[in-house]
Amino acid sequence: MTFLDIFLMIMIVGGAFLILYRTLWKKKGCCGDTGCGGCSSKKQI
Amino acid sequence: MNNRKQIVVAVAGNPNAGKSTLINAIAGSRLHVGNWPGVTVEKKEAGFEFEGHYIRLVDLPGCYSLSPYTQEEIITRDYLVQEPPDLIVNVVDATNLERNLYLTVQLMELGIPLVMALNIYDEAESKGLRINASQMAETLGIAVIPTSAVKKSGLDDLLRTVVQVADSPEAHRPKRLNYGEDVENALEGILDHILHSHASLLDRYPVRWLLLKILEEDASVLKAANITSGSLPQQPFDHLRRAHGDDIEGLMADARYAMVAGLCREVLSRPEKRNPELTERIDRIVLNRFLGIPIFMAAMWLLFKLTFDLSAPFGEWIKDMTGGPFKRWTEVVMGTIGAPDWTVSLVNDGVIAGVGSVLVFVPVIFAMMFFITFLEGSGYMARAAFVMDRAMHAIGLHGKSFIPMLLGFGCNVAGIYATRTLENPKDKVLTALLIPLMSCGARLPVYVLFVGIFFPDNSGTVIWVLYILGMALAVLMGFLFKKTLFRGEVPMFIMELPPYRMPSFVSLCLHTWEKGKHFLIKAGTYIFAVSVLVWFLLNLPWGVENKHESYLGRAGSVIAPVFKPLGFGTWEAASSLITGVIAKEIVVGTMGEIYAPKKDDEGEKEQPTLGEDVKEIMVSFSGAGIKAVSSLFYLPIEAEKEEDTTALNEAVKGHFTPLSAFAFMAFVLLYMPCMVVVAAMRQEFGTWRWAGMAALYSTLLAWVVAFLVYQGGMLLGLGG
Ligand SMILES: Nc1nc2c(ncn2[C@@H]2O[C@H](COP(=O)(O)OP(=O)(O)OP(=O)(O)O)[C@@H](O)[C@H]2O)c(=O)[nH]1
Ligand SMILES: [Mg+2]
Repeated sequence: MTFLDIFLMIMIVGGAFLILYRTLWKKKGCCGDTGCGGCSSKKQI
Repeated sequence: MNNRKQIVVAVAGNPNAGKSTLINAIAGSRLHVGNWPGVTVEKKEAGFEFEGHYIRLVDLPGCYSLSPYTQEEIITRDYLVQEPPDLIVNVVDATNLERNLYLTVQLMELGIPLVMALNIYDEAESKGLRINASQMAETLGIAVIPTSAVKKSGLDDLLRTVVQVADSPEAHRPKRLNYGEDVENALEGILDHILHSHASLLDRYPVRWLLLKILEEDASVLKAANITSGSLPQQPFDHLRRAHGDDIEGLMADARYAMVAGLCREVLSRPEKRNPELTERIDRIVLNRFLGIPIFMAAMWLLFKLTFDLSAPFGEWIKDMTGGPFKRWTEVVMGTIGAPDWTVSLVNDGVIAGVGSVLVFVPVIFAMMFFITFLEGSGYMARAAFVMDRAMHAIGLHGKSFIPMLLGFGCNVAGIYATRTLENPKDKVLTALLIPLMSCGARLPVYVLFVGIFFPDNSGTVIWVLYILGMALAVLMGFLFKKTLFRGEVPMFIMELPPYRMPSFVSLCLHTWEKGKHFLIKAGTYIFAVSVLVWFLLNLPWGVENKHESYLGRAGSVIAPVFKPLGFGTWEAASSLITGVIAKEIVVGTMGEIYAPKKDDEGEKEQPTLGEDVKEIMVSFSGAGIKAVSSLFYLPIEAEKEEDTTALNEAVKGHFTPLSAFAFMAFVLLYMPCMVVVAAMRQEFGTWRWAGMAALYSTLLAWVVAFLVYQGGMLLGLGG
């Protein structure tokens, strides 16, 4: 276990929590980021 | 940017008139469409450029009138009145002209320029209906463009008219419809009063619409405008009541119906003689009092059978790929860049084992979504609700609740939002509480994994039984809730049954992708994140030898005894269930990580080269395709029963019996809805109360059912 290892681990775990936070907590619109069949996307052409 | 004119176009019309389909056809968007009323339940937008204009199309939930009853109708009315768009495109179902025009005359009162898209014109023509569009345009004072959203005809015409009307709105105000002298006099009287004491309202609302609503004593409008009905001059009302009776709202409705009926007599001609249509002939069988429910069950069974047979070979293929070449490649790459050992394990035993074991089931999920999309598009969905209505009415629920529940098969969250179509707030909450019992796509991976190991010969049937179990429990719980928490009358259920339509293959694929892609997004985001975290939990405290002593192992061991009477009291099952609260697929992902093979199991084998790997990937993919197609036609491809020998399958086989596997699947089906569903409930009802209640009761129910399954099975001697 070097300092680099510990640093990497903290970054990875932090990143994982960040993803969880962004996808599960911060909801956008009807289905959040996760979505589902009932919600349709808005597409611009 | 600025020299381009922006036009905001609201697309309004009756439910199922093809509003969303029209917007998709024009703007290339992928709004959800389906052949039943009430698909769209919230405002959606799509924008695009057209001849130097930027056009924003706003898709609105369908409504039958502007005196709204349900939440999604309120959304439509509030939008039209409070944020008036530049223009309304009124989508009218040409095969149901009379009913649709009733809304049209009300939209005309808003004083917003109006263009009518006479949609589903193709069907009207083939039914032999003849509609004189130019005469209708002249009578109403609005442009009327025949369109077919499905055949994509008339769309350019429609857009050009929209731009034209938006450029000179004053020249295109719809005609004012005359309600007869008595009503018009009463409106004058109210106008005087408003000019005197509420003049500011005239800036906020379209004048004529406001007057009509005041005359109808529309409660929500009076409230929003801060007018008490006592403060209104009584003279205009009294005069009308004396002449026409007490029900002024009814009087206005009659007047509108009369206008519409008169208009239809002028512009619409029906064919002389008509044969019973295909739709009627199908419905005679499908809606039959005795055959209805068995046919619905059989349709479901067929759905699972097809889903399973078609997707299984592709799932196998993904399994071989992630566990084989893909894993080897990452090892090689990480070896060359000199990554620390533990990161290699994180990637292999964490991410690949976790996300990979979920990805294996992506083909099943897509196949399932394909068939659900087909059911939605064909029109059978509305029939299923109708058929179930009879059964459900008997126990105090009504069939309209069944549509959100059916949508829950795709994703429970979609079902929760679809409860907006229910009028009664009690029904809404009740239905939302039952939706978590409907088995969503995310639970399929769990079923498919266990069924493939323990019931390989009846896989489709066992999964079907689970779905039916969920529905039956929903009916039972609905009954209990209705008797305890939500006492009240069951309103009659009136639902339009749209004609059957054959969805086009392209639109099927597009909408399947729209539904299925969310599972891929999930796999790439939070399932990925959880896999990483689970790997750490399995490897902390650092250097732990036995996974049992890791943090996750210890947590699992603590609650494992709770599951002992259910037949799966192992720490592995318990900890998978804990992580599965985030999303149900994660149950499989976590098992994949827990049972990931220990290093050096495989020994030194000859490593294939990159080229060989790529070739193998292609060959086995086409093999999977052939297997899928042949299973469709029941061609028995030579039965080379390959034994499944992945570590995960072996381990599961060692830890479960068929009976405990079934109990486990039932538990996964029922216990605590995933976090996204809980969050959606909280958002929809504005309180944690119902979300919490759903989480609590479903977990208890899961325990009881799994207990009964396992202990009952043991008593019957199925424990083996
Ligand atoms: N034959 C034919 N079918 C159409 C046409 N436009 C729409 N449909 C079908 O009509 C059904 C309803 O379409 P939707 O776009 O979901 O209707 P909607 O008006 O958005 O309905 P809600 O969202 O429930 O208000 C779908 O099955 C479409 O395939 C058309 O021009 N011709
Ligand atoms: Mg729609």
